[in-house]
Amino acid sequence: MNSIVARLGWLLLAAFGAFCLGTLALHRGESVNAFWLVAATISFFFVAYRFYGRFIADNALRLDAARATPAVLRNDGLDYVPTDRRVVFGHHFAAIAGAGPLVGPVLAAQMGYLPGTLWILVGVIFAGAVQDFVILFLSVRRDGRSLGEMVRSEIGAGAGVIAMIGVLAIMFIILAVLALVVVKALAQSPWGTFTVAMTIPIALVMGIYLRFLRPGRVLEVSAIGLVLLLLSIWLGGKVAADPAWAPLFTHDGKTLAWMLIAYGFCASVMPVWLLLAPRDYLSTFLKIGTVVLLAIGIVFAMPELQMPALTRFVDGSGPVFAGSLFPFLFITIACGAVSGWHSLIASGTTPKLLANEKDARLVGYGAMLVEAFVAIMALIAACVLQPGVYFAMNAPAALIGTSVETAAQAISQWGFVITPEALAQTARDIGETTILSRAGGAPTLAVGMAQILHRLLAGDGMLAFWYHYAILFEALFILTTVDAGTRVGRFMIQELAGLAVPALGRTESWIANVIATALCVACWGWFLYQGVVDPLGGINTLWPLFGIANQMLAAIALTLASVCLVKMKREKYLWVVLAPAVWLVVCTLTAGWQKVFSNDVAISFMAHARKFSAALAQDQVLAPAKSFVEMQRIVRNDHVDAALAAFFMMLVVAMLVFGAKAALAARRSNTVTAREAPYVALAEAHP
Amino acid sequence: MINLARWKAILQKTCRDCATYTRRIIGIPDYDAYVAHLRERHPDRPIPNRAAFFAERQRARYSGGGGRCC
Repeated sequence: MNSIVARLGWLLLAAFGAFCLGTLALHRGESVNAFWLVAATISFFFVAYRFYGRFIADNALRLDAARATPAVLRNDGLDYVPTDRRVVFGHHFAAIAGAGPLVGPVLAAQMGYLPGTLWILVGVIFAGAVQDFVILFLSVRRDGRSLGEMVRSEIGAGAGVIAMIGVLAIMFIILAVLALVVVKALAQSPWGTFTVAMTIPIALVMGIYLRFLRPGRVLEVSAIGLVLLLLSIWLGGKVAADPAWAPLFTHDGKTLAWMLIAYGFCASVMPVWLLLAPRDYLSTFLKIGTVVLLAIGIVFAMPELQMPALTRFVDGSGPVFAGSLFPFLFITIACGAVSGWHSLIASGTTPKLLANEKDARLVGYGAMLVEAFVAIMALIAACVLQPGVYFAMNAPAALIGTSVETAAQAISQWGFVITPEALAQTARDIGETTILSRAGGAPTLAVGMAQILHRLLAGDGMLAFWYHYAILFEALFILTTVDAGTRVGRFMIQELAGLAVPALGRTESWIANVIATALCVACWGWFLYQGVVDPLGGINTLWPLFGIANQMLAAIALTLASVCLVKMKREKYLWVVLAPAVWLVVCTLTAGWQKVFSNDVAISFMAHARKFSAALAQDQVLAPAKSFVEMQRIVRNDHVDAALAAFFMMLVVAMLVFGAKAALAARRSNTVTAREAPYVALAEAHP
Repeated sequence: MINLARWKAILQKTCRDCATYTRRIIGIPDYDAYVAHLRERHPDRPIPNRAAFFAERQRARYSGGGGRCC
């Protein structure tokens, strides 16, 4: 009787979710309330967790509650610790949540709220959460091994090298594109630059306090740090208004790019306790706190979505990113729907903490659903803006000009009516001089968040405070990704270089450390700088490359998962991982192909290069280039970007070939060939 | 009659659990649990003090792979 009632309840919840989504999809009026989006998302996620998550756990993976996990078997109280599943959940979520799910949905909003919403919902339920869950499970069954090690042992040494190179390449692109987001947000903004710069002295004070004054009192010092951060936002407003101080913190993109490159180098060479670790603590707490705050804001404010369900830009002519809905929507929203990067976290520290295999569903599948909810909130924040403001902030200057008059005219011609006064007023409200062409997602999200949070705590000048709070929140954890990522990249370079020159592989050597760090910084710094000087805004060029790289990594992870299911003789459930793998391969290869071989100058790097080469041959200078040197640089950058896209495609194809060979070999075998750690019953693990 | 001592104990435990949870999120394991683990499994090994334990864990978190998400 109880089970019938429960089933009826779930059925009602599913029906309610479908009703909300239907309301969203069929709405063709002025605006629709964000409530429907939040309600649809939450109901679908609960139903998916309860039914699809459990289906995967019980049938495809057959989680075994009686089997001892690595945390139990190798319990050392440090790395391997059986931990309460709610704690592991928090730890895992803090590690996977980053800037990706905040930026992608904001860019994708140019097509309207519906395409992004549908892809996030379907993508996370059938691809993203599945990937995180299955990789976590595979790693738990293999002593907490990393993705690269698992690819090597299950598919082969060649495939392992491919995965390692893929991870390194994606790292450079991620660091460059995220740093670019920060540059775009801080350019010509003394208030923002001051607040973000202040995080460095605050972190130094925290580091010294933790090391010498009150060692280990990490929560106490984090609380002090957060108070200082809020004070620096307030002080930033004073600095920006002061004619003597403001110029010190007003910089253009190029200067900021060099500052970031120098910062990335210093932060990753210096002892971690001094700068990197305290900043990481601050950014983690600020990140979780702000996500919760934004959720409360959306629930209480219940804002109306101003963006239409679909805009005319689904055809691929949009100003924010070029390319039609398929495949580019699925590349643009990477994290939030499915993120290959998570497979590294799910095979990192998390599997060493799981006290029981059964917890993998909550931690792997559940945490990714929450991440997707963050992506939905970012989408809402972008769509509560007036579409005219949204496009003014995200379209490049090459399309809308550099004054509010030209921008308002151009955007109104696209069908999104906006007045120059409205654009100027929005900039004044948030305490900035201009909002035009601030591509990269962060400023758009910050304006949207400010409007939502302003309804929680309103007041004179509070809109500007909330805007800079949101900018700080994003910049802080992007910079943490940049310094921590540079450090990880340095270790990877040392590992690879150590194969050729053993002296370079010694991580304790100071010279090897500096060389590898410089190499790592140079690699992402080059892309960052090219993005900053890119006349089309840089995000336009780099974000699709990032999306392709991230989805490529997800395709690699899901290929590994498919091979492992075949080796476990669970072919019956192969579709669970093979279907999302195929979808991601189709998306990355199509997008990569168009980026290289299409004839559309707006999409293809090669077509763009051909156009500029042809002009060069006739001694012409094409706008936005201003000299022959700039023309040559554009052509060279196009060639590098095209080569990178082609390289990513080759990685995917090579991985598929290796994976298919391994799977076919496993099929021919009559026995289970997956290389799991030997079975130990939980009851016997505790002597 | 309200049992104040009992409520105080519950409150203290809740605060302690919250603090452990929060530290765990930023990658700092529970010190008391580690000491208990050492006493039970490795009585021969020296027990680090809280500060040394924290410094070692902080260093370990940022050396090697792992990393943060996009």
